[in-house]
Amino acid sequence: MLETLSIWLAANFGEQTATWFEYFTNGKHLAWYASVRFTLIAAFFGALLAVLFGVLGAAARRSGFAPLRWLGLGYTTMVRGIPDVLFFLFFPLAFEQLVEFVMSRRLCSAEELATAVAWPPCQAAQWYLTTSEYLIMACVSLGIVYGAFAANVVHGAMNSVPKGQLEAARAYGFNNRQIFWNFQVRQMWVYALPGLSNVWMLLLKATSFLSLLQIADIVQWADRLGAPNYLARVGMVHPDWRWKYYFVLFLFYILLTVISERVFDWLQRRAGRGLALHGEQ
Amino acid sequence: MDWLLNNAIVQDIIELARPSLFNLYFALASIPIGFPLAVLLAVMKNSSNSIISRVARTYIYAFRGSPLFIQFFMFYSIMLAFNLSHWKPMGIADIVMHPLFIGPMVLILNTSAYAAEIFYGALKTLPKGEMEAASAFGMNRWQVFKTVTWPNMIRLAWPAYTNEVVFLFHATALVYFTLPVINGQKDLMNKAGEMFERDYNIFLHFSVAGLYFLTISMVIFFVSGRIYKRLMRHMDTGEAASFKLKPNYMR
Repeated sequence: MLETLSIWLAANFGEQTATWFEYFTNGKHLAWYASVRFTLIAAFFGALLAVLFGVLGAAARRSGFAPLRWLGLGYTTMVRGIPDVLFFLFFPLAFEQLVEFVMSRRLCSAEELATAVAWPPCQAAQWYLTTSEYLIMACVSLGIVYGAFAANVVHGAMNSVPKGQLEAARAYGFNNRQIFWNFQVRQMWVYALPGLSNVWMLLLKATSFLSLLQIADIVQWADRLGAPNYLARVGMVHPDWRWKYYFVLFLFYILLTVISERVFDWLQRRAGRGLALHGEQ
Repeated sequence: MDWLLNNAIVQDIIELARPSLFNLYFALASIPIGFPLAVLLAVMKNSSNSIISRVARTYIYAFRGSPLFIQFFMFYSIMLAFNLSHWKPMGIADIVMHPLFIGPMVLILNTSAYAAEIFYGALKTLPKGEMEAASAFGMNRWQVFKTVTWPNMIRLAWPAYTNEVVFLFHATALVYFTLPVINGQKDLMNKAGEMFERDYNIFLHFSVAGLYFLTISMVIFFVSGRIYKRLMRHMDTGEAASFKLKPNYMR
């Protein structure tokens, strides 16, 4: 289909247009366009997990059980002092090692375990990760890191729920658990939305790290496509065009930000219907 | 003494001391230029001239709306593209292609956008009465800026700006993921990664690297808290006393 389109372009718009069309639809470029899926999957599932971890973290932080409260506090504090990229690399690598550790206990001989200097102790315990496994780990990683940001937002939003609502619920005879999940968590979303939109923007930008986990994402493809090519039989001969490809990514992320902003504005208006929110109306 | 030095954590702390200086350098080199540039951009965005305002608005939006990771790659490849045609003939290739130059350059472009948005937010909430009073006294625009706008803006923006400085420090971890390492000048993440490849002890090395980031972040919060106290010393709001290491985590 692409070939017929190319011939049609050559006939109607000249050889030049067809050449460029062929260049932008060659296998590598198609792979580049397709690799956007990794970014979108990581952003979507990372965000879902981040909201989940956020609610759980905030719930832990206001738990009546002290160790759980400390855990929640530790979780929400960790993002304050340590860069996200460190966690982003740490969780997948640590998980991989943990699995290999368990596998090495089962698969390697006692002799190998005692004498091994490299990791894993024997070849059988090596876990070769595929792209999809790395992608899952990237989603979980993003979820954990930005879940800590979200937990801070959710924690603040829960405090913004009018106390009268919770007291009314108590007066109606709801127990603590019901009050928490059915009233406080239900009502906090509208207060949490501006903060969560901020977390989403951070998470979206962090999806550019996928190539650090060996995923052939848009960044890696941009690097490959832009690399200079001097062999005519490989494709179009061009000097170092990487900056052009990175510039496209630069614009791509700005576009994603614009779209996200629109969507969150709409959500905010929708969620605020019928509520006398401070600062609006 | 020997048991202490042979301790794996202590050894890691010693080994990561020099790399941490590179992270510090990137942050410290970016702030002195990034800060005034941010103030300038904020004033530009607040300008009544629509062209000036739009330029600043676009710049801030673009740099806040795209990942720093991509910005590093983009500017490094732009610098590379100019290398043979411009930097080499001018004889400055060694300087301008060095990560110690490009790193702060990109960080300045990035942090000035984020900080400008903070200062712009502060400019929007300035007390109108004070500015009108200053104008009524017959001050010109520069005098109003110097005596009313500037001090109020800094005071309002300081906690958020502190937060931004910490984020900037964390962002320095990205420099050597995107730029080449020259003469073994590795930063914390890079060195921790190298040590991980040596003995596969990710928990130890990444924790110690994280500890360095955590400690320096806390020092930044502490120093900034002291400066804030000084900035607010004449204000009787109790605000200064309540400034804790509790930023809003948001960039």
